[in-house]
Amino acid sequence: MKHVNYSQEHARFLRRRKQNLALVWALRIGVLALLLGLWELVTATGWVDPFIMSSPSRIATTLAGLAADGSLFYHIGVTLWETLAGFAIAVVLGFAVALALWWSDTLRRVLEPYIVVLNALPKIALGPLIIIWFGTGSEAIVFMTVLVGVIIAIMHVLSAFIATEESKILLMRSMGANKWQILCKLVIPSSYPAVISMLKVNVGMAWIGSIMGEYIVSRAGLGYLIVYGGQVFKLDLVMSATFVLCLLAAGMYALVVLLEKILVKNTDN
Amino acid sequence: MENILTFRDVTHIYHTVRGELVAAQELSFSVSRGEFVAIIGPSGCGKTTLLSLAAGLLKPSAGSVESSGSFGYMLQKDELFPWRTIEKNIFLPLEVKRKNTQEARRRALALAEKYGLADFLKSYPKQLSGGMRQRAALIRTLATDPDILLLDEPFSALDYQTRLNVCEDVAAIIRSEQKTALLITHDISEAISLADRVLVLSARPARVAHSHTLDFGDVPPLKRREQPAFSAWFERLWGELNA
Ligand SMILES: Nc1ncnc2c1ncn2[C@@H]1O[C@H](COP(=O)(O)OP(=O)(O)OP(=O)(O)O)[C@@H](O)[C@H]1O
Ligand SMILES: [Mg+2]
Repeated sequence: MKHVNYSQEHARFLRRRKQNLALVWALRIGVLALLLGLWELVTATGWVDPFIMSSPSRIATTLAGLAADGSLFYHIGVTLWETLAGFAIAVVLGFAVALALWWSDTLRRVLEPYIVVLNALPKIALGPLIIIWFGTGSEAIVFMTVLVGVIIAIMHVLSAFIATEESKILLMRSMGANKWQILCKLVIPSSYPAVISMLKVNVGMAWIGSIMGEYIVSRAGLGYLIVYGGQVFKLDLVMSATFVLCLLAAGMYALVVLLEKILVKNTDN
Repeated sequence: MENILTFRDVTHIYHTVRGELVAAQELSFSVSRGEFVAIIGPSGCGKTTLLSLAAGLLKPSAGSVESSGSFGYMLQKDELFPWRTIEKNIFLPLEVKRKNTQEARRRALALAEKYGLADFLKSYPKQLSGGMRQRAALIRTLATDPDILLLDEPFSALDYQTRLNVCEDVAAIIRSEQKTALLITHDISEAISLADRVLVLSARPARVAHSHTLDFGDVPPLKRREQPAFSAWFERLWGELNA
């Protein structure tokens, strides 16, 4: 706003908005603090066995230990790399396939049933095949991550492409636009919001894929720590790895939201 | 006067899985250079189809469409792209036609300024009123300097007051740029207030049922509405449309 020349009523409105926002944040942090406090309390006083429930302080100690010997960053690095690689491949591949399916009606009709079936298939059923094909290294996990994300990426982007307003296409054609121009100047820009929502969904999918992959095959990563911790009954380890996972997923989501702010400032069809 | 657009016995059939639908049958008419022709007809009779045929977006099933000139198409809604500024929207046809030269852009901007869009060039469509947006759509249509304007109910999405004003503006712009125009409308009074000639189409399949040359000359739309001949024409066209 250039001129700060509000009426008193508007100033009051703004102040109340600000207060409300502060309250919401205070409550959010309060809820977290309360839960952690209660958790710590019930385990410290022995109401609940910390061996089964772990506790915030034990999680902190575990994390500090893992950080000290460097293994924390190693496992984070492994999982992060698998997740990001799988995410990137799924998104790019999904976008490319959606483009091809938009371009050719025939191709789309040919592939539609396959996509529907692949979408419905629980990807974890392919676990054994993936181990046989890709071994038990990072490749297998990246493949699993791509598998979990790519179909959803295709369906999201394709449905946005297809939903491009018929009248705007007519307008472009009346200007003499060819298919390529219609794609670049109309179909893709008008699908930005859908692409962003696809990215958001796929952040979640990528984590599901990579952790699921690590459950099945891996020898490193946060998913591995969780499985391993469960097997040897080290609940502190399970909780610590889960906690780090929450932070990473939230961070990645925040990046996509930032991208959204940059990309779709003025689009609201 | 030389004919700039001619329909000769044009028939158009739509084919769908459910069956075929004859949208136009042996449709013949012509438009001469500089003329403003309005077309009225019952809803769903094939008016939009007729414009698509004129612009070459559809090929007739039989008969021929001949034209000597370039087209600009304007639709019911402004169809401005919300992610582009008004200026960028106006440049769109230049980009598409690969005529995006300094010279062409300057011409388009001059038009925009001449017709009151100067202050909105850097704005996004959602920041403009409906009337202003439709005006921007017209400037976009004029950007490539087309010979024939095809207008498909361009005012019908506007409220009544805005519609009268935009109608007045558009008439002035089209006359001063000396364009040929083919206007489709549901609104009989709009047709009478804008056109040199009115074609009345039959119910589907569309044929030209009547053709009337109006005698208002260069009288602008709002003034025409005040003239006694206006209501006479209205009654006549109303009768023919509902025959
Ligand atoms: N692509 C299409 N495929 C099949 N039928 C179509 C198609 N486009 C239009 N039609 C049909 O052709 C007929 C004429 O359509 P058109 O849109 O030309 O009519 P119109 O006079 O412009 O209608 P309106 O008054 O609603 O604007 C309608 O019955 C319509 O359902
Ligand atoms: Mg129509």
